[in-house]
Amino acid sequence: MAELQIKATVNGRKISRSAQPSQRLLDFIRDDLNLTGNKEGCGAGECGTCSVFVDGVLMKSCLLPVAKAQGTQIDTIESLAKTGELSVLQKAFHKAGASQCGYCIPGMVMAATAALRSNPFADREEIKERLGGNICRCTGYQKIFDAVELARDVQNGRLPATMLDGIDAEQGDYIGKNVSRIDAPSKVSGKLKYAGDMLMPDMLHVHVLRSPHAHARILSIDTSAAQAMEGVEGVITSADVPGEDGFGVFVHDQPVMARDKVRYVGEAVAAVAAEDPLIARRAAAAIKVVYEPLPAVFSAEDALRPGAPVVHAYAPDNITKHIPIRVGDVEAGLAESDLVIEENYETQAIEHAYLEPEAGLAYVDHDGVVVVISPSQNITHHRHMLAKIIAKPIAKVRFIMSPVGGGFGGKEDMIYQGMLALLAMKTGRPVRLVFTREESIASTAKRHPSKTTLRMGLMRDGRIRAVAFRMIADGGAYGLSTEGVMRKAAILGAGPYVIPNLQMDTIGVYTNNTPSGAFRSFGALQTQFATESHLDIACERLGLDPFEIRRINMMRDGATTHTKQKLKSVSIGRVLDAAEKASGWEKGVSGQRNGRGDLNGEGLRPAVALGARFVGDTKQEAAE
Amino acid sequence: MARMRGRGMAACWYGIARTATVDRAAAWAEIDDGGSAKIVTGVTEIGEGILTVLAQIAAHEMGLKPEDVVIGDNDTARAPEAAHAGATRQTYMIGNVVALASREARGKLVEVLAKMWEVEPSTIRTGNGFVWAENTNHKITMGKAVECCKQRGVVPVGSATFGTDTTGLDGTDGAGRPWQAYVFGCQVAEVEVDTVTGEVQVLGMWAAHDVGRAVNPKGVEGQIEGGIVQAIGQALMEDYELSNGHTTTPGFAKYILPTSLDVPMMNSIIVEDPDPIGPLGVKGIGEPAMVPTIPAIMNAIYDAVGVRITSLPATPEKVLMAIREKQQRENQMAVQAAE
Ligand code: FES
Ligand code: FES
Repeated sequence: MAELQIKATVNGRKISRSAQPSQRLLDFIRDDLNLTGNKEGCGAGECGTCSVFVDGVLMKSCLLPVAKAQGTQIDTIESLAKTGELSVLQKAFHKAGASQCGYCIPGMVMAATAALRSNPFADREEIKERLGGNICRCTGYQKIFDAVELARDVQNGRLPATMLDGIDAEQGDYIGKNVSRIDAPSKVSGKLKYAGDMLMPDMLHVHVLRSPHAHARILSIDTSAAQAMEGVEGVITSADVPGEDGFGVFVHDQPVMARDKVRYVGEAVAAVAAEDPLIARRAAAAIKVVYEPLPAVFSAEDALRPGAPVVHAYAPDNITKHIPIRVGDVEAGLAESDLVIEENYETQAIEHAYLEPEAGLAYVDHDGVVVVISPSQNITHHRHMLAKIIAKPIAKVRFIMSPVGGGFGGKEDMIYQGMLALLAMKTGRPVRLVFTREESIASTAKRHPSKTTLRMGLMRDGRIRAVAFRMIADGGAYGLSTEGVMRKAAILGAGPYVIPNLQMDTIGVYTNNTPSGAFRSFGALQTQFATESHLDIACERLGLDPFEIRRINMMRDGATTHTKQKLKSVSIGRVLDAAEKASGWEKGVSGQRNGRGDLNGEGLRPAVALGARFVGDTKQEAAE
Repeated sequence: MARMRGRGMAACWYGIARTATVDRAAAWAEIDDGGSAKIVTGVTEIGEGILTVLAQIAAHEMGLKPEDVVIGDNDTARAPEAAHAGATRQTYMIGNVVALASREARGKLVEVLAKMWEVEPSTIRTGNGFVWAENTNHKITMGKAVECCKQRGVVPVGSATFGTDTTGLDGTDGAGRPWQAYVFGCQVAEVEVDTVTGEVQVLGMWAAHDVGRAVNPKGVEGQIEGGIVQAIGQALMEDYELSNGHTTTPGFAKYILPTSLDVPMMNSIIVEDPDPIGPLGVKGIGEPAMVPTIPAIMNAIYDAVGVRITSLPATPEKVLMAIREKQQRENQMAVQAAE
């Protein structure tokens, strides 16, 4: 295709550059103009991180072919604080604590700027509506709305500009104070460089070939065609791993690239480093892998059945980890209970969906040290594992943690850093890998889906007598954090309650599904969902208020936990009181009360905010 | 019946830092020229605000302003081990160790000044970039104080390590000391359920969490709000689906995430029950923030329409089906009662 000559005004400066017609405006801005403030969160128009102004109109630059830029005026996040001084909105984001990982923030600031330009008096509901095309995975949006409202009021003169200033603590007492985030200016201005924004001289681009099979033997891999392609500098497979090939947070059962067999769809099989991303992608496609598909197993229950396909030879029963906790005699406890409630609970797999897809760089330095730069949540452990994988002393391996655009546990796994290191070693040049959103979703860990059976025995007065709790969790194809997740699930699952007889089992199972791994709340979320739902069922059966049943059973200062640990101070009573009071809790058995009380009464909670989609209908309802 | 409201609650507990293993972290601190400070420790920001928390702690301990604290890049070849960024351990492990290292650096500086001013070290105060001795006229800037140290051949530095007194679990009955600090939380959800479409909107969340001691209350709120909205995602819409191992939710068009339109009014109540072991009393909030949200929402749905969703997510289809089944059951019972 013929090259285009793009003439445009970008952030106030005239540019004239050649571009490929296949490029998107986002690539042109980020790769050719090196304006990396706006990010690529999804490449599909769904997240808004790439939002820029084209002739003053907010546009998702990942959806625009570069040709659309011809003759236009383009403003990126870098345009807002060109003089070095942040805009009112950027200052308000800083002041309100509206940025966390910061990856969504440039796009969010652009969208908010557009919102206040369209309507300088936009109310909170309109602000919500106008930010509806921008995803933030970290903040819960509330502080972002606060920031936009603050900026609106300062701009309109309703609030003084001093509202944007930081705090000055008296006597230097900075603990307990709302000091504005020190990293916020770099985030609201788009200046902070995440790994995918970083460049190194002479850098190669990496593309990973992934498994199309859930379970298959690898009969052969032929990389010769890929290797022969112009611009290809290195191709690696598991044959290139010089040391002990395995990583994982607890068991090192996952090879850097599939070895002998693949265990899930999306598993890395080979990787290519080439002069540009397109060549790398084409070369990866030219690698010939012959697979022999194997019977696969897609649920934890199936994996536990006798005769099920075995995912890892070392675990013929497919059990990754079983954590038992035992207190007293659970069957006796259930037998002496006035009431036994049994219920099953299920939780689904969840994607971390951090807005920053995985990315990293690697190079070998002048002293022969292999350096990996990536948003890793655990560089200490990654260093240990990589040293073994590449058979070098620990001092010859160096991990640098780049700013993390959201992790939530998902960046604890060393899922790609091994490939980067091997390619840097093989090619002798710096290499960079940036995942697409699809790659990130298909190949990285999820929250463990779980199935729980819970039997709880209670006395008529609400005291818990016994709990039998069994959770089976699908850990997917590799161990990653499964062991730790099962442990935390077991220790915390029965809740902060006194339970004289407890039988707790959490079982993590291998399957041929996408691996499950660390995810914020790490097993405790799945198990406490079951217990806390169960307590409400008990309330209904016993005619108790939900707060009451928890007070009856809660651990108190000096309590002994389910793992027989003696606690000192136990604050559960205080948090129950605080939540009950703040929410203006209406006492009673759930589901058996008569409608809702007055939510706006004196001393009660503030009026609820209806989601924007309910606006309009609400009035009607109020009238009814 | 069209739109019904309900309220529900749930409590939680959580352990702080690594589970059932000894956790540890180290840091270096230096009060630097001009009265600034350097902190080097092996962990960095993943969005939770730890850099700000560490700057506040270092400033507080050394008598500086947070903006004068520089936090070194996290690099296994340049910084002492602080292990990983996860497990709700950052404020607890790294915060405490930075406090200890800062105290040591300050101690070196105070020692020099006490000698110089001929006062007891315990009478020396530091704060907001100044050093002074109580009940005297001695008061100088921190920059000047560093100069005085260096003229006397002292660089005010400190280093520290912080570890937990924890054990693994017994393989048979699970006995052990997995953590030395525990936190507790409770959340109340208010929902509206549309009985025609099955759609659930979370209107309000009230979240009370014990965090030990809040270094930055706004940061704590940010963690709670972010946690709640992630949990709303899991409660009502998110679902990573597979068909024979192939995902059918490969991008954000299919994998539905909470947006600004799904956000309830969130109210955080910070409860402080200080940790008696660490030097600061801090604990943590990152993970516990999202534990009670889902059951609180499911309990609120039950309160609103009398159906219990035990399998996540509570999609409109699932809620609607449950409502219909309940109606059928009730109708049958009514028929039977009439017969
Ligand atoms: S909307 Fe363009 S990258 Fe997500
Ligand atoms: S701050 Fe919005 S995605 Fe992290």
